Amino acid sequence: MTVSFFVVLLLSVIRLSTPMFIAGLGNMYCERVGILNLGAEGMMVSGAFAAVLGSYYTGNPWIGVFCGMVGGLVAGALHALICVEFGGLHAISGLGITMLFNGVTKFLCLSIFGSTFTPNVAALQTTKILQGVPVLGKYLGALSPLVYLGGLIAVISYFVIFRTPYGLRVQMVGDDPRTVETAGINVWKMRYSGVLICGLLCGIAGAYMSLGQLDRFFEGMIAGKGMLAVIAVKMGKWEPKGILGTALLLGFFDAVQLQLQINGIIGIPPEMLQLLPYVAGIAVLSLQTGATRLAALDTQYLRNKYKF
Amino acid sequence: MVYAVEMRGITKRFPAVLANDHIDIAIKAGTVHAIIGENGAGKSTLMNILYGLHKPDEGEILINGQKQAFGSATDAIDCGIGMVHQHFMLVPRLTVADNVVLGKEPRKGLLYDRKAAIAKVAEVCSRHNIQVDPAKKVADISLGMQQRVEIVKTLYRGAEIIILDEPTAVLTPQEIDDLGEILRQLKEGGKTIIIITHKLEEVMDFSDDISVLRGGKHIATLRKAETDIPELTRLMVGRDVQLGGRKESAPGKEEALRLTDIVYAAAGRQILKSISLVLHKGEVLGLAGIDGSGQTQLAEIVAGVLTPSGGSVVYHSRDITGKTVAQRKKEGIGFIAQDRQKHGLVMDFSIAENLVLGFQRRPEYCQYKIAVNSKAVISDAQKRIREYDIRTPGEQVRVSMLSGGNQQKVVVAREMGSRPQLIVADQPTRGVDVGAIEAIHNILINHRNKGGSVLLVSLELDELMMLSDRIAVFFDGRLMGILDSATATREQIGMMMVGSSLEGKEGPAS
Amino acid sequence: MKINALKLRLKDALVPLILILIAFLFSAIWISFMGKSPLEAYRALFAGAFGSTSGVVNTVKKSVPIAFASFAVIVSTKANVFNIGAEGQLAMGAFGATMAGIFLKGLPAAVHIPAAILAAALGGMAFALVPALLRVKRGINLLVVLLLMNNIARFLLQFFVLDAFASDNALVPSTDRIMESARLPYLIGPPYRLTIAVLIVLAVAIVLELFFRRSTAGYEMRAVGLSPEAARYAGIDINKYMLLGLLLSGALAGVGGGLEILGNHHRLYIDFSPGYGYDGIPIALLSGGSPLISILGSLLFGALRTGSLNMQAKVGISDEIISVIQGSLILCIAANYFVKYLLNRRRSGKAGKEAGQ
Repeated sequence: MTVSFFVVLLLSVIRLSTPMFIAGLGNMYCERVGILNLGAEGMMVSGAFAAVLGSYYTGNPWIGVFCGMVGGLVAGALHALICVEFGGLHAISGLGITMLFNGVTKFLCLSIFGSTFTPNVAALQTTKILQGVPVLGKYLGALSPLVYLGGLIAVISYFVIFRTPYGLRVQMVGDDPRTVETAGINVWKMRYSGVLICGLLCGIAGAYMSLGQLDRFFEGMIAGKGMLAVIAVKMGKWEPKGILGTALLLGFFDAVQLQLQINGIIGIPPEMLQLLPYVAGIAVLSLQTGATRLAALDTQYLRNKYKF
Repeated sequence: MVYAVEMRGITKRFPAVLANDHIDIAIKAGTVHAIIGENGAGKSTLMNILYGLHKPDEGEILINGQKQAFGSATDAIDCGIGMVHQHFMLVPRLTVADNVVLGKEPRKGLLYDRKAAIAKVAEVCSRHNIQVDPAKKVADISLGMQQRVEIVKTLYRGAEIIILDEPTAVLTPQEIDDLGEILRQLKEGGKTIIIITHKLEEVMDFSDDISVLRGGKHIATLRKAETDIPELTRLMVGRDVQLGGRKESAPGKEEALRLTDIVYAAAGRQILKSISLVLHKGEVLGLAGIDGSGQTQLAEIVAGVLTPSGGSVVYHSRDITGKTVAQRKKEGIGFIAQDRQKHGLVMDFSIAENLVLGFQRRPEYCQYKIAVNSKAVISDAQKRIREYDIRTPGEQVRVSMLSGGNQQKVVVAREMGSRPQLIVADQPTRGVDVGAIEAIHNILINHRNKGGSVLLVSLELDELMMLSDRIAVFFDGRLMGILDSATATREQIGMMMVGSSLEGKEGPAS
Repeated sequence: MKINALKLRLKDALVPLILILIAFLFSAIWISFMGKSPLEAYRALFAGAFGSTSGVVNTVKKSVPIAFASFAVIVSTKANVFNIGAEGQLAMGAFGATMAGIFLKGLPAAVHIPAAILAAALGGMAFALVPALLRVKRGINLLVVLLLMNNIARFLLQFFVLDAFASDNALVPSTDRIMESARLPYLIGPPYRLTIAVLIVLAVAIVLELFFRRSTAGYEMRAVGLSPEAARYAGIDINKYMLLGLLLSGALAGVGGGLEILGNHHRLYIDFSPGYGYDGIPIALLSGGSPLISILGSLLFGALRTGSLNMQAKVGISDEIISVIQGSLILCIAANYFVKYLLNRRRSGKAGKEAGQ
């Protein structure tokens, strides 16, 4: 095996782990304010499809990314409305978000394009400006600009969570919303903010999958990446560094199976290779220890006026 | 005159109850005012209304003569009201300073200024002469300290009126004295203090004025100097009560339970350190200690819910260390768990279903070894509802619809109904009304008088001293000594609860 | 006392109906968004499902796997292990039944059919085993694992159908046909082809009802489901019941998939299930844990799936709108607390007025 093989593999790992990483960061906010988000998948689907629509109608992929953010945000807003405002069950709401947006996007895709996949649209698969960088330019430029956006979001998130007053409150809401409320902070606003940020980031992650990795949308393209993002958050102990690490690990398995498929090295049928990232995800999750936990995760916190 | 707080005609309805019924209370500035009443009298609701956590259905609130309408706790805080809740509102993972400044964090640009937070909290502490280390994690300080943090939290927010909800519930006698000192200093500093409690001794120690609530109504407001404990008790309960039951015989000599070198560790922490003790037939053995000293774990080990890391449990000369909960139930060990809603009852089951929980495999409730004998379950439930005076429209009512006292009676009826020899009771009267306390005390003492054994955990020293024959005092997972309750004093037990051993020596630092 | 209880139940029955209504209204928005008339669409939907004998039979036929999926979810929720992996277990059950149908040779139908159904149950159960063990032994978040397992099932199915057991003479990728002796007998023969699977659904529903209402094990399982901690303190082995609940649940989903093969398709396709396993989730949640009531919900979803084809043909609305209805229904269920709150407020408002007069 040559050096270039490893470089290709490395780039592949980065490409494949980016959606889990960005969506994982979003889920970090969501879980830290106490809302379990099994709807990450649906938010990503929504984002991926909206991004393609945006790019398709305007020809500008950045407008597509913006539309993707809005798409994710809409799904996030729905989850927030149910879990934060209406005292709904997080797991069921998340499941509903995933099923609804899988259905809605497929429905719209069929209705608009008459097929379960869209035509090719203007995409963001490479970063042109970085191609001029000496030596590494060839490699840096081969990644989508959204990969770098993901890195930036991670750095910002680190500061937001650990260095700002908002972050202090976020840390507390996930542990004990009542304490936060008695300190005179609007718990519901905090929870809304976490879920909406999550929707936004999942939207970007979805947009990355349809415009950064590919240049179109097709049915079932998210294929469990949202669930893997949820795993990355739990395994990463709700910290950007940990989430990055887990996402890279899961991305590594995905990249390995992809390389094996492409090179056809061993005679394993492709369907069995495709299982690898999911099996890895379950294995990673089962290694998790329950020592640190957010005490208020997956709990209802109702406004007084809705109690009866 | 202008009062610090005036509440007029406050009424609050909840679906099942009228929690506050046109309550009028006025509190003078610069005084300590106690609001007393038994569980369910409406005192917590009233204070939650004052703190903006509940909206009253009727009535108005005046603060320093100004009419106020609180939409949330924020409004109350802005008005100079602070509240120390019974269950502390602190996040253990974070530091004292983080907890105190939450909601009013000092900033440096966009960022949270942690150094300034620590400095500011230290400043508030020294101004009011309260000793707390702002840089410590809340998880690492004692409950008494945590309460001080709560008080500092209100002061940091500029509170002039401080509400304390059952402030002494988790404190040792010494810590209660310290709290009294802090409250006195705050009063001298011009603060108005409101204490909610049902413990009358403290009321007499701390307060200037006392308001009594009963059944959601305001019964009376008295000056401390002009009243006494018997009068307050009468006002609070509405009749004379006789708590504690009557012991009719000396405890037996035969061993019912022998624990040898019980060790228990969880999450890398030693919770019980080599505990050995003996419980006799016809005896109540009380386990004392501040909350979290290991008493609950010991009770759960005897009940079989927890498995000890080491040591042996011998019951009636048989080693039952490895036996399951179900086997122990068969052997005649009844268990009243501390948290009835979480551990004692399935809240969505009916009373009848709950009354057989844990006994569903007994032949009388189980036909052909596989089916529930509904007839037997129902007729048995009806019998026990009468026998234990459970107030309910019928045996098919879900236990979640019952009051705390009646829920506890369901648990007691179930555990007693199986004719156990040993009852393990972990805080059996926590959060229930006086009527239910009386009933439960009588049941436990009768059990003892008939030769049964009781292992009783309680945080209320009075209850322990009333019911127990002997009291075993725990500190930090260690048994500090066993006292005869007839001769032991509160002070003696209090000292042992914070680590002094029986001989009066200082125990090793934790 | 009894009348009181009935009243309560009637009152509660209102909630599911309102939720279903909201889901239909929400989906109507999407239909009009596409420039079509929701009223017309729903009329075509109804006509497709109930307008003809074959429509009704198809509705009933399609409700069979859906009913089994909802039984699966009900059993799992009783034991506090919410099984959202029914879709995957259904597929593995179908695979199991197919294997038994193809490779068990020379058996009389009276033996072959039960054997194939058993193989379906084992297939579903085996697929639930790993998540169940992870939950019980390691306390892992079951929902995350089960959703991933559904993805895994999809690839496994592709592997079986396209690769390992692909038939050489089939127009659509599929396995070989199962033996005649493994095919379910008809209650109503061609052209309707309604098999005895319907009777199996009823029988299983009744057995499950009896299990939960009358048996001691059912009582213990319900205790575990409603309050695992209280059950543990009462000496009930909660791990046993969680494991049992999920395995039984997997077996039921598997049987649902198996009957679909043995009764209707007689061979395994990749897309043999349009999402029956997911249909079971809202139905189970709306039925309040009663298998018999869930049959009603299954008929509703069977009707949706049957009628949607007619809707697609007549009005030009993609049958994918069913997933939209399904998803929004689940969202409504998640928010059911709020619907109850609104109902309660209306009621207590009325009561207050009456009392005031």
